[in-house]
Amino acid sequence: MSTTPSRIRDAALPWLLPVAIVLGWQAAVSAGLVSNRFMPAPLDVVRAGIEAGRTGELWTNLGVSTLRALAGFVVGGGIGFGLGLANGLSRLSERLTDTSVQMVRNVPHLSLIPLVILWFGIGEEAKLFLVALGVFFPIYANTLHGIRSVDPALVEMGRVYGMSNAELFRRVVLPGALPSIFVGLRYALGIMWLTLIVAETISASSGLGYMAMQAREFMLVDVVVLAILIYAALGKLADALTRQLERSCLAWNPAYRSA
Amino acid sequence: MLRDANLRDTPQPPDADTNASALALGDRERGVTSSETLDPSPHSSPDRERGARGIAVTVRDLHKSFDGNAVISGLDLFLPAGGFTAVVGRSGCGKSTLLRLILGLEAPTAGRVALDAGEPGLRRSERPRRIMFQEPRLLPWARVVDNVAVGLSGIGTKPERRERALVALDQVGLADKAGAWPATLSGGQRQRVALARALVSGPGLLALDEPLGALDALTRIGMQDLIERIWRADGFTALLVTHDVGEAVAMADRILVVDSGRIALDLRVDVPRPRRRGDPDLARLEGRILEHLLGAPQAA
Repeated sequence: MSTTPSRIRDAALPWLLPVAIVLGWQAAVSAGLVSNRFMPAPLDVVRAGIEAGRTGELWTNLGVSTLRALAGFVVGGGIGFGLGLANGLSRLSERLTDTSVQMVRNVPHLSLIPLVILWFGIGEEAKLFLVALGVFFPIYANTLHGIRSVDPALVEMGRVYGMSNAELFRRVVLPGALPSIFVGLRYALGIMWLTLIVAETISASSGLGYMAMQAREFMLVDVVVLAILIYAALGKLADALTRQLERSCLAWNPAYRSA
Repeated sequence: MLRDANLRDTPQPPDADTNASALALGDRERGVTSSETLDPSPHSSPDRERGARGIAVTVRDLHKSFDGNAVISGLDLFLPAGGFTAVVGRSGCGKSTLLRLILGLEAPTAGRVALDAGEPGLRRSERPRRIMFQEPRLLPWARVVDNVAVGLSGIGTKPERRERALVALDQVGLADKAGAWPATLSGGQRQRVALARALVSGPGLLALDEPLGALDALTRIGMQDLIERIWRADGFTALLVTHDVGEAVAMADRILVVDSGRIALDLRVDVPRPRRRGDPDLARLEGRILEHLLGAPQAA
């Protein structure tokens, strides 16, 4: 049994390094070791955040970016999941589509940006397309792999014990594929933010990436750093949510059980 | 005490089994399954005829080959309802294939397997055939009670399945583990959960494909006693495939030695139950079978 002080220490330990870095950073800028034209002090960044929050600019851009990220994720992830299931369950479907998917997969999706701008301009469709494309592959590949790696002995058991195909899928195949699907999900979330930020930086008229690019034009270094920190926070948030989901869905697996 | 039995043997006389209801775990099928669906007269006396619930198995001129290699070649066999038959033989003699053919997990190349539940018009789900595999094959993502309820797939409502699963878990002595994940159980406990899953539907035929091979010696003896006790209480037909001749003579009332896809030896074990380990009659029988397996080429 861990006592209360040691539990607090356990919870504080991961944050020790980030806090030390921020404090050192603030000290370095305050002492004049670093010019705040290149690197604003943390307090300046906080001030910039409060200012952007007050004008509403921050919330609008954050909302726009989040909506784009989620829409692209739902579309690309949905298609990837569906195709992964289809190809995992049906030989015919796999032979029909897998080779094509593998060929397209080897094209870096961000290299399509010039083409996408030609097709869609800099509107919402361009961002949605790129995010969906980026998210598609990790979800597809890991769903397919997960279904492939379900223990055939369990499938045979299910059949012998009289499960219908639907029941077999729901009770044996899908839960067996779930750990692998979660790996794909976490990859996909990382790619989702990356793609969106790049797309917004290159061609957008709103969103976090746009906010950072605008700030660069006017040499507002504190807003640029603010945007970068928000990316970090969003990434961490997505990861934490996935972890939580894993922990509740994969509670049966000793590797995922919370201590 | 032992004599060779004919291939097309008549069903054996019942064991002295009238004290089955005195067994702590023996009462449940009588109360739950039998009176509900299987027993034509729900209020029949507890010492009803042995094998009343078992399925009789008739195998005629069975052949099975894989890629042209004959594994079973012209095998004939009759298993009376409610009997406990063990099949022994060397690795690759076809004993596991025979079991899979009888269960319908493989299709025969030629010949046929007929199962007779005794009552015409009985739905298959009312007297299913069940198998216990070498490994427990539990769903790691389902709790113990839900794993047992897998044995009732397509039968009854969810609360009914759960209710019966709990009764079956109690029968194998794991009622307190109902809510546990399989990963937290020991190897012997997992195999007991698998046994409960096989028994929960009240099967007419239970095939055991070396189910105790991976267990340590003491756990194995405990499991042998448990399976024998439940068999005596429930009256299904049991077919055990095993490498372990000692296990076969301890549990079965008939032993088949399979060699090159045929039955080479068919022995009856008349040693009364409950059997004592180290019984000289069992030891003599075990010696005789081992002698046969280890290469005395002449027929026994």
